[in-house]
Amino acid sequence: MGIISVEQADHLFWLGRYTERVYTTLRFYFPRFDSMIDETVDSYQAFCESIDIPNIYSSKEDFLRRYPFDADNPDSIISNLNRAYDNAIVLRESIGSEALSYVQLAIYDMNKASASSSPMIELQYLMDHILSFWGIADDQIDSEQVRNMIKAGKRIERIDLYARLKVSREELVREVCRMIPRVERSGLLYDKSRLNQMKSLVENPDLDYYKIVSNVEAIV
Amino acid sequence: MQQLELLKHTDKINELLARYGVKFGIYKNNIFKEQLFPFDSIPRIIEHKEFSHLEKGLKQRVMALNLFLKDIYSKKQIVKDGIVPEDFIFASSGYMAECEGTVPPKGIYSHISGIDLVKGKDDNWYILEDNLRVPSGASYPMIARDLCRRSSPDTFHNYRLEDNRNYADLLRRAMDYVNPGGHTVILTPGRYNAAYFEHSYLAEKTGAHLATGSELIVENDTLYYISSDGTREKVGAVYRRISDEYLDPMNFNPESLIGIPHIYEVFRKGNVALINAPGNGVADDKGIYYFVPKMIRYYLDEEPILCNAPTYLPFYEEDMKYVLSHFDELVLKDVAEAGGYGVVFGNSMTKQQKQDFIDLLQREPRRFIAQEVIDFQDLDILEQGEIVPRKADLRAFVLMAEEPMVWKSGLTRFSRNTDSFIVNSSQGGGFKDTWVLYQ
Repeated sequence: MGIISVEQADHLFWLGRYTERVYTTLRFYFPRFDSMIDETVDSYQAFCESIDIPNIYSSKEDFLRRYPFDADNPDSIISNLNRAYDNAIVLRESIGSEALSYVQLAIYDMNKASASSSPMIELQYLMDHILSFWGIADDQIDSEQVRNMIKAGKRIERIDLYARLKVSREELVREVCRMIPRVERSGLLYDKSRLNQMKSLVENPDLDYYKIVSNVEAIV
Repeated sequence: MQQLELLKHTDKINELLARYGVKFGIYKNNIFKEQLFPFDSIPRIIEHKEFSHLEKGLKQRVMALNLFLKDIYSKKQIVKDGIVPEDFIFASSGYMAECEGTVPPKGIYSHISGIDLVKGKDDNWYILEDNLRVPSGASYPMIARDLCRRSSPDTFHNYRLEDNRNYADLLRRAMDYVNPGGHTVILTPGRYNAAYFEHSYLAEKTGAHLATGSELIVENDTLYYISSDGTREKVGAVYRRISDEYLDPMNFNPESLIGIPHIYEVFRKGNVALINAPGNGVADDKGIYYFVPKMIRYYLDEEPILCNAPTYLPFYEEDMKYVLSHFDELVLKDVAEAGGYGVVFGNSMTKQQKQDFIDLLQREPRRFIAQEVIDFQDLDILEQGEIVPRKADLRAFVLMAEEPMVWKSGLTRFSRNTDSFIVNSSQGGGFKDTWVLYQ
């Protein structure tokens, strides 16, 4: 491929972000779904608050249905997956048909899950295909810069979500260590001082999740 | 043919085509939708000898059409010699006065020509139309062959076929031949274009950059691709998949948002090759089609190898008389339309529709051509497990480099409706692979 335009760089970065957003929100949605089976007091409101999405749901059942599958809701998982697809579809010549096909398969999985009486089973296939996409991105995309742009998006998104979901310090430290070299090697325009601040923010004894989110959002 | 092992895998192959995003876009009520292009695994098979005949005829036709374009945008000798009336040049919507005097790199106008043919029940091939602007469709049989071979290796072990997956190599050769120096780019209007799958797939397979107009810029009579770090990379060839009028807002349609300002000046100065050249529409106009056999005789001093469908031009008084007296036996085509639109069969009209159409025809005789309805051979397709006959055409591709190269395959499109002659994907048609036997 050789040269990458500004538009392509943007699509690669956001492809990484949206695939990660789908993957991580599903990963957190699965145990939440499980705990909601037994709960007597609704907890979906707290979940919405934790990931900073508006609570537009009228009940637990409404949340379980619409949060993954409502394409008219910009915060739903399906909307994020559609955005991943919108970015991937214009990148066939840089990521290759094989890698693109896994995003396409994830779309089909989502549609199947939406129509299924046991959607969680189908959503597992979706997770599998996102993991396959990342695997093939590593294995078959020749351009290191293309891989780094996707992964910079993925790593930034993961820290953003982890901080919102208030995961442990250890996990945040690990993710920051993985994110920094990716961003540095990506060729994307980034704010070096923000990047350097990430380590101290996650190592600070008084972990300020809000600061971490606003800082990571401002890196690229 | 019904015994082909490949046929058992039709559903699986269609699933794989869906997986790889083999789709086309369509607008319905102003809403964009992506649709799968249904694939039928029963191939069209063309014997080696038969294809050799087609190959000669196609090369001859494309050579003559290129010479016609060169002549029309320079001396217009064919008009001066009374072979083609000037009404058919200057009134053609495809004629572009802006192209007068411009000679493209290596003098090639139509680098990629899509020639639509049908095979009549008399076993003759008839040319239905020439597509010299942005003919699409080669990517579909190309990827389908790949997936068919994966699904049923035994079938391909038993049949010795020309490998059609070399289309990208032919295309690359055609693009490189006219490239005066610099990168090669496939220019797309974007993902909401009907043929976006093809644009991106051909970019992947040829190693060209896929770009939209906003990624390219003209400076100092040179075209550049702008990279993410701001550097400018010189572009030498643009396989543009946008139509002439939208290519350059400074020279053509000023309202175009998808073109590249001043690209036509770079082309005029010979610093970039535009593939295909602007202005080709004058040669694939349905009205000009009538004159192609005459062009072959005029420019090449040869008899046409392939026949046109019998065609009448109501523009000529004698032809008008024939059209009016045989109206019910003819198909009438609006020369300005494409994609199966603007086509009406005389025998399908009500009395009032027929009268209205005749009034229009007499008011605007240049606007229509009339053709005998070719009784063309049906091809078998699989429909819900049953084998049924359907109308089908063939789009053959001729690529031009040092010499014309005919792709040994083609896009076979078929109608999915009984008795319908309309095979276009935009109107619900499907496609087949086209096998050319090796020996």
